Amino acid sequence: MKRIETTIQNLKKDIGHFYQPELYHFIVMNAVDLGEKIELQWFFGDYTEPFEIIAFCAQITPDVEIPSITSIVPSAWVAEAELVDLIDIRIENTSKGFVLEPDFESGPLRKGK
Amino acid sequence: MAKQYEIPVGAQHISLLEPLHFKFTTENEKIVSTTANIYYVHRGIEKACCTKFKFRQVSFVVGRVCGLCSISHTTAYSQVAEKLIKIEIPARAKYLRMLVIELDRIHSHLLCLSHVAENSGFEALFMKTMQYREAFMELLEAVCGNRVQYDFSIVGGVARDLKPEVAMMIIGRLKKFKSQLDELVDIFQNNWTLGLKNKNAGAITREDAMRLNVVGPFARAAGLAVDVRNESQELLPWIEVGFKIITETGGDAYSRSLVRLREIYVSMRMVENIINGLPESALITETKAFPDGEAVVRIEAPRGELFYYAKGNKTQILERLKIKAPTFSNVSAMLEGFEGNEYGSVPAIIASYDPCLSCTSR
Repeated sequence: MKRIETTIQNLKKDIGHFYQPELYHFIVMNAVDLGEKIELQWFFGDYTEPFEIIAFCAQITPDVEIPSITSIVPSAWVAEAELVDLIDIRIENTSKGFVLEPDFESGPLRKGK
Repeated sequence: MAKQYEIPVGAQHISLLEPLHFKFTTENEKIVSTTANIYYVHRGIEKACCTKFKFRQVSFVVGRVCGLCSISHTTAYSQVAEKLIKIEIPARAKYLRMLVIELDRIHSHLLCLSHVAENSGFEALFMKTMQYREAFMELLEAVCGNRVQYDFSIVGGVARDLKPEVAMMIIGRLKKFKSQLDELVDIFQNNWTLGLKNKNAGAITREDAMRLNVVGPFARAAGLAVDVRNESQELLPWIEVGFKIITETGGDAYSRSLVRLREIYVSMRMVENIINGLPESALITETKAFPDGEAVVRIEAPRGELFYYAKGNKTQILERLKIKAPTFSNVSAMLEGFEGNEYGSVPAIIASYDPCLSCTSR
Protein backbone atom coordinates (compact mmCIF):
# COMPACT_ATOMS: atom_id res chain seq x y z
CA MET A 1 0.00 0.00 0.00
CA LYS A 2 1.35 3.39 -0.98
CA ARG A 3 0.38 6.23 1.37
CA ILE A 4 0.07 9.77 0.07
CA GLU A 5 -0.23 12.35 2.83
CA THR A 6 -2.53 15.26 2.11
CA THR A 7 -4.60 17.86 3.95
CA ILE A 8 -8.30 18.64 3.87
CA GLN A 9 -7.49 21.91 2.11
CA ASN A 10 -5.55 20.15 -0.67
CA LEU A 11 -7.65 16.97 -0.83
CA LYS A 12 -9.76 17.74 -3.89
CA LYS A 13 -6.80 19.20 -5.75
CA ASP A 14 -4.58 16.18 -4.98
CA ILE A 15 -7.22 13.56 -5.81
CA GLY A 16 -8.32 15.56 -8.85
CA HIS A 17 -4.74 15.54 -10.20
CA PHE A 18 -4.31 11.84 -9.50
CA TYR A 19 -7.62 10.23 -10.40
CA GLN A 20 -8.23 9.06 -13.95
CA PRO A 21 -11.20 6.65 -14.23
CA GLU A 22 -9.55 4.61 -16.98
CA LEU A 23 -6.41 4.02 -14.85
CA TYR A 24 -7.66 3.79 -11.25
CA HIS A 25 -10.77 2.70 -9.43
CA PHE A 26 -11.98 4.11 -6.17
CA ILE A 27 -12.15 1.33 -3.55
CA VAL A 28 -13.49 2.93 -0.39
CA MET A 29 -13.08 5.69 2.17
CA ASN A 30 -12.00 4.76 5.69
CA ALA A 31 -11.50 6.53 9.01
CA VAL A 32 -9.38 5.60 12.01
CA ASP A 33 -10.09 7.25 15.36
CA LEU A 34 -6.70 8.31 16.76
CA GLY A 35 -8.13 9.90 19.90
CA GLU A 36 -8.08 13.66 19.51
CA LYS A 37 -7.77 13.38 15.74
CA ILE A 38 -9.29 11.18 13.05
CA GLU A 39 -7.28 9.88 10.14
CA LEU A 40 -9.25 9.75 6.91
CA GLN A 41 -8.12 7.48 4.09
CA TRP A 42 -9.30 7.36 0.47
CA PHE A 43 -8.25 4.08 -1.18
CA PHE A 44 -7.70 3.68 -4.92
CA GLY A 45 -6.55 0.65 -6.92
CA ASP A 46 -4.73 0.39 -10.26
CA TYR A 47 -6.61 -1.13 -13.20
CA THR A 48 -3.27 -2.08 -14.73
CA GLU A 49 0.06 -3.36 -13.44
CA PRO A 50 1.49 -3.03 -10.82
CA PHE A 51 -2.08 -3.17 -9.35
CA GLU A 52 -0.93 -1.09 -6.42
CA ILE A 53 -3.26 0.25 -3.72
CA ILE A 54 -2.89 3.97 -3.15
CA ALA A 55 -4.22 5.62 0.01
CA PHE A 56 -4.65 9.38 0.31
CA CYS A 57 -4.47 10.14 4.04
CA ALA A 58 -5.42 13.28 5.95
CA GLN A 59 -5.80 13.92 9.66
CA ILE A 60 -8.68 16.06 10.90
CA THR A 61 -10.32 17.15 14.12
CA PRO A 62 -13.91 15.87 14.43
CA ASP A 63 -15.51 19.32 14.16
CA VAL A 64 -14.16 20.04 10.65
CA GLU A 65 -16.42 19.69 7.61
CA ILE A 66 -14.72 17.52 5.00
CA PRO A 67 -15.05 18.26 1.30
CA SER A 68 -16.88 15.63 -0.72
CA ILE A 69 -14.96 14.08 -3.63
CA THR A 70 -18.14 13.13 -5.54
CA SER A 71 -17.41 15.83 -8.13
CA ILE A 72 -14.29 13.78 -9.01
CA VAL A 73 -15.46 10.25 -8.11
CA PRO A 74 -19.28 10.15 -8.48
CA SER A 75 -19.70 6.78 -6.73
CA ALA A 76 -17.87 7.96 -3.59
CA TRP A 77 -21.15 9.19 -2.04
CA VAL A 78 -21.84 5.69 -0.69
CA ALA A 79 -18.54 5.55 1.23
CA GLU A 80 -18.96 9.13 2.44
CA ALA A 81 -22.49 8.43 3.70
CA GLU A 82 -21.23 5.36 5.54
CA LEU A 83 -18.57 7.32 7.42
CA VAL A 84 -20.97 10.12 8.32
CA ASP A 85 -23.10 7.49 10.09
CA LEU A 86 -20.40 5.26 11.57
CA ILE A 87 -17.71 7.79 12.56
CA ASP A 88 -19.96 10.83 13.08
CA ILE A 89 -18.00 13.24 10.92
CA ARG A 90 -19.39 15.99 8.73
CA ILE A 91 -18.97 15.69 4.98
CA GLU A 92 -20.13 18.31 2.50
CA ASN A 93 -23.63 17.60 1.06
CA THR A 94 -23.95 14.30 2.97
CA SER A 95 -26.73 13.62 5.44
CA LYS A 96 -27.12 10.89 8.05
CA GLY A 97 -29.34 7.85 7.75
CA PHE A 98 -27.97 5.69 4.92
CA VAL A 99 -26.13 2.90 6.75
CA LEU A 100 -27.67 3.40 10.19
CA GLU A 101 -31.31 4.12 10.91
CA PRO A 102 -31.88 7.83 11.56
CA ASP A 103 -32.64 7.27 15.26
CA PHE A 104 -29.52 5.11 15.84
CA GLU A 105 -26.78 6.58 18.05
CA SER A 106 -24.26 8.38 15.81
CA GLY A 107 -20.66 7.34 15.40
CA PRO A 108 -20.54 3.84 16.91
CA LEU A 109 -17.01 3.36 15.60
CA ARG A 110 -15.64 6.30 17.58
CA LYS A 111 -13.54 5.44 20.62
CA GLY A 112 -15.48 5.42 23.88
CA LYS A 113 -18.84 4.71 22.21
CA MET B 1 -44.31 15.42 -19.00
CA ALA B 2 -46.25 12.35 -17.90
CA LYS B 3 -47.47 12.14 -14.32
CA GLN B 4 -44.82 10.69 -11.99
CA TYR B 5 -45.47 8.02 -9.39
CA GLU B 6 -43.26 6.94 -6.51
CA ILE B 7 -43.28 3.20 -5.90
CA PRO B 8 -41.57 1.85 -2.77
CA VAL B 9 -40.14 -1.66 -2.89
CA GLY B 10 -38.83 -3.29 0.30
CA ALA B 11 -37.41 -3.57 2.88
CA GLN B 12 -39.47 -6.78 2.75
CA HIS B 13 -40.92 -7.62 -0.63
CA ILE B 14 -41.72 -10.83 -2.44
CA SER B 15 -39.18 -10.14 -5.21
CA LEU B 16 -36.41 -8.77 -2.99
CA LEU B 17 -33.83 -11.23 -1.80
CA GLU B 18 -32.20 -8.82 0.62
CA PRO B 19 -33.44 -6.34 3.23
CA LEU B 20 -33.06 -3.07 1.36
CA HIS B 21 -35.53 -0.40 0.39
CA PHE B 22 -35.83 1.10 -3.09
CA LYS B 23 -38.00 4.02 -4.03
CA PHE B 24 -38.66 4.11 -7.77
CA THR B 25 -39.92 7.25 -9.46
CA THR B 26 -41.77 6.22 -12.60
CA GLU B 27 -43.42 7.92 -15.54
CA ASN B 28 -46.14 5.51 -16.59
CA GLU B 29 -44.19 2.23 -16.47
CA LYS B 30 -40.71 3.68 -17.09
CA ILE B 31 -38.32 4.18 -14.17
CA VAL B 32 -36.83 7.68 -14.21
CA SER B 33 -34.92 7.63 -10.93
CA THR B 34 -34.24 5.40 -7.92
CA THR B 35 -33.10 5.93 -4.34
CA ALA B 36 -32.16 3.29 -1.77
CA ASN B 37 -31.77 2.75 1.96
CA ILE B 38 -29.57 -0.05 3.22
CA TYR B 39 -29.71 0.34 6.99
CA TYR B 40 -31.85 -2.63 7.98
CA VAL B 41 -29.18 -5.17 8.89
CA HIS B 42 -26.32 -3.21 10.45
CA ARG B 43 -24.89 -5.47 13.19
CA GLY B 44 -21.83 -3.56 14.37
CA ILE B 45 -19.40 -6.29 13.30
CA GLU B 46 -16.45 -3.91 12.72
CA LYS B 47 -16.97 -2.46 16.20
CA ALA B 48 -17.19 -5.92 17.78
CA CYS B 49 -13.98 -7.00 16.01
CA CYS B 50 -12.09 -4.07 17.55
CA THR B 51 -13.51 -4.31 21.07
CA LYS B 52 -14.90 -7.72 22.00
CA PHE B 53 -12.68 -10.23 20.22
CA LYS B 54 -8.98 -11.06 20.10
CA PHE B 55 -7.46 -10.85 16.64
CA ARG B 56 -7.30 -14.66 16.24
CA GLN B 57 -11.02 -14.91 17.06
CA VAL B 58 -11.95 -12.25 14.52
CA SER B 59 -11.77 -14.67 11.56
CA PHE B 60 -14.70 -16.55 13.15
CA VAL B 61 -16.63 -13.30 13.59
CA VAL B 62 -16.14 -12.02 10.03
CA GLY B 63 -17.18 -15.46 8.79
CA ARG B 64 -20.64 -14.44 10.03
CA VAL B 65 -20.71 -11.26 7.92
CA CYS B 66 -22.20 -13.21 5.03
CA GLY B 67 -23.88 -16.56 4.52
CA LEU B 68 -22.89 -16.79 0.86
CA CYS B 69 -19.23 -15.78 0.78
CA SER B 70 -18.14 -16.63 4.31
CA ILE B 71 -14.88 -18.12 3.01
CA SER B 72 -13.99 -14.88 1.21
CA HIS B 73 -14.35 -12.91 4.44
CA THR B 74 -12.43 -15.36 6.60
CA THR B 75 -9.66 -15.66 3.99
CA ALA B 76 -9.36 -11.89 3.45
CA TYR B 77 -9.26 -11.29 7.19
CA SER B 78 -6.74 -14.10 7.78
CA GLN B 79 -4.51 -12.66 5.05
CA VAL B 80 -4.62 -9.14 6.43
CA ALA B 81 -3.89 -10.45 9.96
CA GLU B 82 -1.01 -12.56 8.60
CA LYS B 83 0.45 -9.40 7.04
CA LEU B 84 0.23 -7.64 10.41
CA ILE B 85 1.97 -10.48 12.27
CA LYS B 86 4.36 -10.98 9.33
CA ILE B 87 4.00 -14.69 8.65
CA GLU B 88 3.86 -16.78 5.48
CA ILE B 89 1.32 -19.60 5.49
CA PRO B 90 2.16 -23.16 4.31
CA ALA B 91 1.71 -23.90 0.59
CA ARG B 92 -0.99 -26.52 1.16
CA ALA B 93 -3.08 -24.01 3.13
CA LYS B 94 -2.92 -21.54 0.22
CA TYR B 95 -4.22 -24.11 -2.25
CA LEU B 96 -6.93 -25.34 0.12
CA ARG B 97 -8.12 -21.76 0.61
CA MET B 98 -8.39 -21.35 -3.15
CA LEU B 99 -10.23 -24.67 -3.43
CA VAL B 100 -12.95 -23.62 -1.00
CA ILE B 101 -13.19 -20.11 -2.46
CA GLU B 102 -13.83 -21.57 -5.94
CA LEU B 103 -16.36 -24.16 -4.69
CA ASP B 104 -18.07 -21.30 -2.87
CA ARG B 105 -18.08 -19.21 -6.06
CA ILE B 106 -19.80 -22.02 -7.95
CA HIS B 107 -22.59 -22.36 -5.38
CA SER B 108 -22.99 -18.57 -5.10
CA HIS B 109 -23.21 -18.09 -8.89
CA LEU B 110 -25.72 -20.93 -9.13
CA LEU B 111 -27.81 -19.29 -6.41
CA CYS B 112 -27.80 -15.99 -8.30
CA LEU B 113 -28.71 -17.72 -11.57
CA SER B 114 -31.56 -19.57 -9.88
CA HIS B 115 -32.96 -16.28 -8.57
CA VAL B 116 -32.64 -14.66 -11.99
CA ALA B 117 -34.69 -17.56 -13.37
CA GLU B 118 -37.25 -17.30 -10.56
CA ASN B 119 -37.63 -13.53 -10.85
CA SER B 120 -38.00 -13.87 -14.61
CA GLY B 121 -40.94 -16.22 -14.01
CA PHE B 122 -39.09 -19.45 -14.88
CA GLU B 123 -39.83 -21.57 -11.79
CA ALA B 124 -38.70 -24.88 -13.29
CA LEU B 125 -35.27 -23.47 -14.11
CA PHE B 126 -35.07 -22.00 -10.61
CA MET B 127 -35.62 -25.46 -9.10
CA LYS B 128 -33.23 -27.18 -11.49
CA THR B 129 -30.44 -24.66 -10.75
CA MET B 130 -31.01 -24.91 -7.00
CA GLN B 131 -30.85 -28.70 -7.28
CA TYR B 132 -27.43 -28.48 -8.96
CA ARG B 133 -26.29 -25.95 -6.35
CA GLU B 134 -27.22 -28.35 -3.56
CA ALA B 135 -24.49 -30.75 -4.68
CA PHE B 136 -21.89 -28.01 -4.14
CA MET B 137 -23.30 -27.21 -0.70
CA GLU B 138 -22.77 -30.89 0.15
CA LEU B 139 -19.20 -30.72 -1.17
CA LEU B 140 -18.51 -27.65 0.94
CA GLU B 141 -19.89 -29.43 3.96
CA ALA B 142 -17.66 -32.42 3.23
CA VAL B 143 -14.55 -30.20 2.93
CA CYS B 144 -15.25 -27.69 5.72
CA GLY B 145 -17.64 -29.49 8.06
CA ASN B 146 -20.32 -26.86 7.57
CA ARG B 147 -22.62 -25.79 4.74
CA VAL B 148 -22.66 -22.03 5.34
CA GLN B 149 -20.30 -20.67 8.03
CA TYR B 150 -17.18 -22.53 6.98
CA ASP B 151 -14.59 -21.26 9.51
CA PHE B 152 -12.06 -22.86 7.18
CA SER B 153 -9.46 -20.09 6.84
CA ILE B 154 -7.92 -19.15 10.15
CA VAL B 155 -5.02 -16.86 11.00
CA GLY B 156 -1.91 -18.79 9.95
CA GLY B 157 -3.50 -21.31 7.58
CA VAL B 158 -6.58 -23.51 7.38
CA ALA B 159 -8.51 -25.43 10.02
CA ARG B 160 -8.96 -28.76 8.19
CA ASP B 161 -7.16 -30.90 5.66
CA LEU B 162 -8.71 -32.30 2.49
CA LYS B 163 -9.34 -36.03 2.92
CA PRO B 164 -8.53 -38.20 -0.14
CA GLU B 165 -12.09 -39.56 -0.28
CA VAL B 166 -13.48 -36.00 -0.28
CA ALA B 167 -11.08 -35.06 -3.09
CA MET B 168 -12.40 -38.04 -5.10
CA MET B 169 -15.95 -36.98 -4.33
CA ILE B 170 -15.27 -33.47 -5.68
CA ILE B 171 -13.69 -34.79 -8.89
CA GLY B 172 -16.63 -37.16 -9.43
CA ARG B 173 -19.16 -34.44 -8.79
CA LEU B 174 -17.46 -32.00 -11.19
CA LYS B 175 -17.47 -34.65 -13.91
CA LYS B 176 -21.21 -35.16 -13.48
CA PHE B 177 -21.90 -31.42 -13.29
CA LYS B 178 -20.18 -30.61 -16.60
CA SER B 179 -23.12 -31.80 -18.74
CA GLN B 180 -25.60 -30.20 -16.34
CA LEU B 181 -23.80 -26.88 -16.69
CA ASP B 182 -23.82 -27.21 -20.50
CA GLU B 183 -27.59 -27.63 -20.24
CA LEU B 184 -27.94 -24.52 -18.03
CA VAL B 185 -25.82 -22.47 -20.45
CA ASP B 186 -28.02 -23.57 -23.34
CA ILE B 187 -31.19 -22.53 -21.48
CA PHE B 188 -29.87 -19.18 -20.22
CA GLN B 189 -28.38 -18.37 -23.61
CA ASN B 190 -31.20 -19.46 -25.91
CA ASN B 191 -34.50 -19.58 -24.04
CA TRP B 192 -36.86 -17.13 -25.68
CA THR B 193 -38.75 -16.12 -22.52
CA LEU B 194 -35.60 -15.53 -20.47
CA GLY B 195 -34.17 -13.51 -23.33
CA LEU B 196 -37.25 -11.28 -23.43
CA LYS B 197 -36.97 -10.59 -19.72
CA ASN B 198 -33.20 -10.21 -19.45
CA LYS B 199 -31.80 -8.81 -22.70
CA ASN B 200 -31.21 -5.05 -22.38
CA ALA B 201 -32.60 -5.14 -18.81
CA GLY B 202 -30.64 -3.13 -16.22
CA ALA B 203 -27.88 -2.42 -18.74
CA ILE B 204 -24.83 -0.32 -18.03
CA THR B 205 -22.02 0.49 -20.46
CA ARG B 206 -18.31 -0.16 -19.95
CA GLU B 207 -17.81 3.59 -19.51
CA ASP B 208 -20.51 3.69 -16.82
CA ALA B 209 -18.93 0.71 -15.07
CA MET B 210 -15.59 2.52 -15.08
CA ARG B 211 -17.06 5.86 -14.02
CA LEU B 212 -18.98 4.25 -11.14
CA ASN B 213 -16.14 1.91 -10.06
CA VAL B 214 -18.23 -1.24 -10.52
CA VAL B 215 -16.69 -4.57 -9.50
CA GLY B 216 -17.25 -8.29 -10.02
CA PRO B 217 -19.47 -10.01 -12.61
CA PHE B 218 -21.49 -6.78 -12.82
CA ALA B 219 -18.42 -4.97 -14.24
CA ARG B 220 -17.16 -7.90 -16.33
CA ALA B 221 -20.57 -8.26 -18.01
CA ALA B 222 -20.17 -4.66 -19.20
CA GLY B 223 -16.73 -5.41 -20.66
CA LEU B 224 -14.64 -4.02 -17.81
CA ALA B 225 -11.95 -6.65 -17.18
CA VAL B 226 -11.50 -6.34 -13.42
CA ASP B 227 -10.87 -9.36 -11.23
CA VAL B 228 -8.62 -9.43 -8.18
CA ARG B 229 -7.56 -12.98 -9.10
CA ASN B 230 -5.94 -11.47 -12.18
CA GLU B 231 -4.30 -8.67 -10.23
CA SER B 232 -2.91 -10.22 -7.08
CA GLN B 233 -0.77 -13.37 -7.04
CA GLU B 234 1.12 -12.32 -3.92
CA LEU B 235 -1.02 -14.22 -1.41
CA LEU B 236 -2.79 -16.84 -3.54
CA PRO B 237 -1.44 -18.08 -6.92
CA TRP B 238 -4.64 -17.85 -8.97
CA ILE B 239 -3.10 -17.81 -12.44
CA GLU B 240 -0.96 -20.87 -11.65
CA VAL B 241 -4.11 -22.94 -11.02
CA GLY B 242 -5.77 -21.88 -14.26
CA PHE B 243 -7.57 -18.62 -13.65
CA LYS B 244 -8.81 -16.87 -16.78
CA ILE B 245 -10.78 -13.64 -16.77
CA ILE B 246 -14.27 -13.76 -18.32
CA THR B 247 -15.95 -10.72 -19.86
CA GLU B 248 -19.06 -9.99 -21.93
CA THR B 249 -20.04 -6.77 -23.63
CA GLY B 250 -23.82 -6.40 -23.25
CA GLY B 251 -23.78 -5.03 -19.69
CA ASP B 252 -27.37 -6.25 -19.15
CA ALA B 253 -28.97 -8.93 -16.96
CA TYR B 254 -28.52 -11.46 -19.78
CA SER B 255 -24.76 -10.79 -20.02
CA ARG B 256 -24.39 -11.00 -16.24
CA SER B 257 -25.88 -14.50 -16.29
CA LEU B 258 -23.53 -15.52 -19.11
CA VAL B 259 -20.49 -14.20 -17.24
CA ARG B 260 -21.46 -16.20 -14.14
CA LEU B 261 -22.07 -19.36 -16.15
CA ARG B 262 -18.73 -19.07 -17.96
CA GLU B 263 -16.96 -18.33 -14.66
CA ILE B 264 -18.30 -21.59 -13.26
CA TYR B 265 -16.38 -23.46 -16.00
CA VAL B 266 -13.21 -21.62 -14.98
CA SER B 267 -13.81 -22.36 -11.28
CA MET B 268 -14.35 -26.05 -12.06
CA ARG B 269 -11.06 -26.20 -13.95
CA MET B 270 -9.27 -24.44 -11.09
CA VAL B 271 -10.72 -26.85 -8.51
CA GLU B 272 -9.55 -29.85 -10.59
CA ASN B 273 -6.08 -28.36 -10.98
CA ILE B 274 -5.81 -27.61 -7.26
CA ILE B 275 -6.78 -31.16 -6.30
CA ASN B 276 -4.44 -32.71 -8.87
CA GLY B 277 -1.47 -30.60 -7.78
CA LEU B 278 -2.12 -30.17 -4.06
CA PRO B 279 1.30 -29.83 -2.36
CA GLU B 280 2.14 -31.70 0.83
CA SER B 281 2.92 -29.46 3.79
CA ALA B 282 1.69 -28.41 7.21
CA LEU B 283 -1.69 -26.67 7.41
CA ILE B 284 -0.81 -23.83 9.70
CA THR B 285 2.09 -21.55 10.63
CA GLU B 286 2.28 -21.09 14.37
CA THR B 287 3.41 -17.79 15.88
CA LYS B 288 2.93 -15.85 19.08
CA ALA B 289 3.33 -12.45 17.40
CA PHE B 290 0.82 -9.64 17.91
CA PRO B 291 -0.49 -7.52 15.03
CA ASP B 292 1.38 -4.29 14.42
CA GLY B 293 1.08 -1.54 11.81
CA GLU B 294 -1.53 -1.37 9.06
CA ALA B 295 -2.25 -3.57 6.06
CA VAL B 296 -4.79 -4.01 3.29
CA VAL B 297 -5.91 -7.07 1.36
CA ARG B 298 -8.19 -7.54 -1.62
CA ILE B 299 -9.82 -10.80 -2.63
CA GLU B 300 -12.26 -11.68 -5.43
CA ALA B 301 -15.45 -12.78 -3.69
CA PRO B 302 -18.29 -14.16 -5.86
CA ARG B 303 -19.75 -10.64 -6.18
CA GLY B 304 -16.44 -8.88 -6.79
CA GLU B 305 -13.64 -7.13 -4.96
CA LEU B 306 -13.71 -7.62 -1.19
CA PHE B 307 -11.37 -5.23 0.64
CA TYR B 308 -10.04 -5.52 4.20
CA TYR B 309 -8.08 -2.88 6.07
CA ALA B 310 -6.66 -3.67 9.50
CA LYS B 311 -4.56 -1.72 11.95
CA GLY B 312 -2.83 -3.35 14.92
CA ASN B 313 -1.21 -1.87 18.01
CA LYS B 314 0.87 -4.80 19.35
CA THR B 315 -2.02 -6.02 21.51
CA GLN B 316 -4.53 -8.84 21.08
CA ILE B 317 -7.26 -6.36 20.09
CA LEU B 318 -7.16 -4.64 16.70
CA GLU B 319 -7.17 -0.86 16.56
CA ARG B 320 -9.38 -0.78 13.44
CA LEU B 321 -10.90 -3.24 11.00
CA LYS B 322 -12.60 -1.97 7.88
CA ILE B 323 -14.53 -4.20 5.48
CA LYS B 324 -15.60 -3.07 2.01
CA ALA B 325 -17.93 -5.58 0.39
CA PRO B 326 -18.43 -5.86 -3.40
CA THR B 327 -22.09 -4.81 -3.34
CA PHE B 328 -21.04 -1.61 -1.54
CA SER B 329 -19.04 -0.63 -4.63
CA ASN B 330 -21.96 -1.45 -6.92
CA VAL B 331 -24.70 0.57 -5.19
CA SER B 332 -24.35 3.62 -7.50
CA ALA B 333 -24.42 1.51 -10.66
CA MET B 334 -27.35 -0.53 -9.36
CA LEU B 335 -29.41 2.64 -8.98
CA GLU B 336 -28.43 3.98 -12.42
CA GLY B 337 -29.03 0.59 -14.04
CA PHE B 338 -32.75 0.77 -13.28
CA GLU B 339 -33.24 4.03 -15.16
CA GLY B 340 -35.14 3.73 -18.44
CA ASN B 341 -36.32 0.20 -17.67
CA GLU B 342 -39.93 -0.93 -17.26
CA TYR B 343 -41.00 -1.19 -13.62
CA GLY B 344 -42.03 -4.81 -14.32
CA SER B 345 -38.39 -5.72 -15.01
CA VAL B 346 -37.25 -4.71 -11.52
CA PRO B 347 -37.30 -8.20 -9.94
CA ALA B 348 -35.19 -9.75 -12.70
CA ILE B 349 -32.76 -6.81 -12.69
CA ILE B 350 -32.29 -6.95 -8.90
CA ALA B 351 -31.61 -10.68 -9.07
CA SER B 352 -29.05 -10.13 -11.84
CA TYR B 353 -27.23 -7.57 -9.66
CA ASP B 354 -26.83 -10.35 -7.06
CA PRO B 355 -26.73 -7.86 -4.17
CA CYS B 356 -25.63 -8.92 -0.69
CA LEU B 357 -26.79 -6.56 2.01
CA SER B 358 -25.42 -8.71 4.81
CA CYS B 359 -21.95 -7.91 3.48
CA THR B 360 -22.73 -4.31 2.57
CA SER B 361 -24.22 -3.15 5.84
CA ARG B 362 -22.45 -5.53 8.28
